Amino acid sequence: MKIPLSKTLFVFLFLILAVNFLAAQKPLTPVQDPDRPTHLRPDGAGGTIEEAGPTGQAVVTGNGINYNGGPVLKGSPVPIYVIWYGNWNGTGSNTMATVSTVETWLKTVGGTPYELINSTYGDNTGNVSGNLTLGGAIFDTGSQGTRLTNTRLSNIVNRSFSNGLPKDTNGVYVVITASNVSEQGFCTQFCGFHTAQTLGGTDIKWAFVGNTDRCQSACSIQATGPNSPATGVGGADGTINVLTHETEEAITDPDLNAWFDSSGNEDADKCNFNFGATTTCTTSNGCTSAGASAGAKFNQTFGGRNYMMQQEWENRNGGACVQHL
Amino acid sequence: MTGAFTQPLSLILIMAVIAATAQEPVKPKLTPTIVTATRQAALFSGLEKQMLQAVQKKDKAGLEALLADDFEIAMPNADPLAGEDWEDAVLAGDFNLKSFVVRQLSVADMGDAAVVKFDRIQQATFKGRNESGEFFVVDLWKKSGDSWKLANRYVSKVSTIPETGKTAVKPTGKD
Repeated sequence: MKIPLSKTLFVFLFLILAVNFLAAQKPLTPVQDPDRPTHLRPDGAGGTIEEAGPTGQAVVTGNGINYNGGPVLKGSPVPIYVIWYGNWNGTGSNTMATVSTVETWLKTVGGTPYELINSTYGDNTGNVSGNLTLGGAIFDTGSQGTRLTNTRLSNIVNRSFSNGLPKDTNGVYVVITASNVSEQGFCTQFCGFHTAQTLGGTDIKWAFVGNTDRCQSACSIQATGPNSPATGVGGADGTINVLTHETEEAITDPDLNAWFDSSGNEDADKCNFNFGATTTCTTSNGCTSAGASAGAKFNQTFGGRNYMMQQEWENRNGGACVQHL
Repeated sequence: MTGAFTQPLSLILIMAVIAATAQEPVKPKLTPTIVTATRQAALFSGLEKQMLQAVQKKDKAGLEALLADDFEIAMPNADPLAGEDWEDAVLAGDFNLKSFVVRQLSVADMGDAAVVKFDRIQQATFKGRNESGEFFVVDLWKKSGDSWKLANRYVSKVSTIPETGKTAVKPTGKD
């Protein structure tokens, strides 16, 4: 019996559309339980123990921080892309002077004995290089408004790919906000954060750092820093301190499944606001006059500048907060 | 001729719309964030855990060191509980705090006072009854010399967790 052409065509098109529809149901990104690192399992006594993960020259454990199987960023250097968000032509520390100070830090911290602390971390294919640099920077004066949420921050990062920054899975994108911008949880819960997200099909590591002058008591160790242009204007130095925290962690735990301890603390968390030995600014040791006049403290010097930066957890010698490798 | 194609064509169009809908990009889901706690969040996180550990260990002196003399606790649908009565209840032998997790802690710094809010997930029993669950806690801390004392607590139960006999999963910090 001959089947009418219309019915044949209908069945054929139906099959095509059905296959198309079913294929579209596949998740775009793999789902991972964010509360269960892949290499921890219950020990039957209410705790967790680390399973033997991939080992190699680059994975050294037993120093107070655990390897949970995920990758680290091994670029030499790791590019840090900055999105200056909000009004950076304002007053106080919301100026191009702060932009210049922070970008100078990014261009000079790579390869220093401080940054090399990170080279004690690795994955099963190699170590973190201890080298990072400014990969690029753009300004976004307020595309998502001045009251940010995590979703709006994500939009800011996503938007940057069509506004001058490359889409680079091996880099870290940092949104640094001026004091005229608020973000949910900033100043009450956190000073910054980092995360990983699939944007446009690419695994993007990004972070948020707010100008610490918005809440000095919460996010700064001192109101005036070694690079302050005026007394009480410590935003550049305070922001650099939070920035080093986020970049250290985005490099050693980029996808949130590499290096952290049993309490969930990453390498910089273990030394949060822990600065170690410091030196007091004077008029002759490289600080600004405001820094000297306020007796600001610093504990790092490189690239011709002084900085006050938290210590980092060294993944060797039993583990400890240190100022340099 | 036209009528013979209308019905199958309509069905094809409907299927096309359904298939097109399924093809729209799924909005990227934001993964958890790892935060850098503020100085106050780090401080009060330590104090809150210190208090919970004192309850766990039945450490009366350790607990009293953190409580203001006029400490009071308020819960929904109940009269406020005086600090002494609350202390007696949590330090009693028939209250067992097996484990706890403090999450999403934030601090509103008022200078000599601080409002601290957080989620507390606990595994506990009281007189053999399951007291495990998630609680939303708002604490008012007051400066006392160089230290802080808990003056008021407002706590409400968000949900009950079945008693499993196992302690809560250790926090991963991925809040």
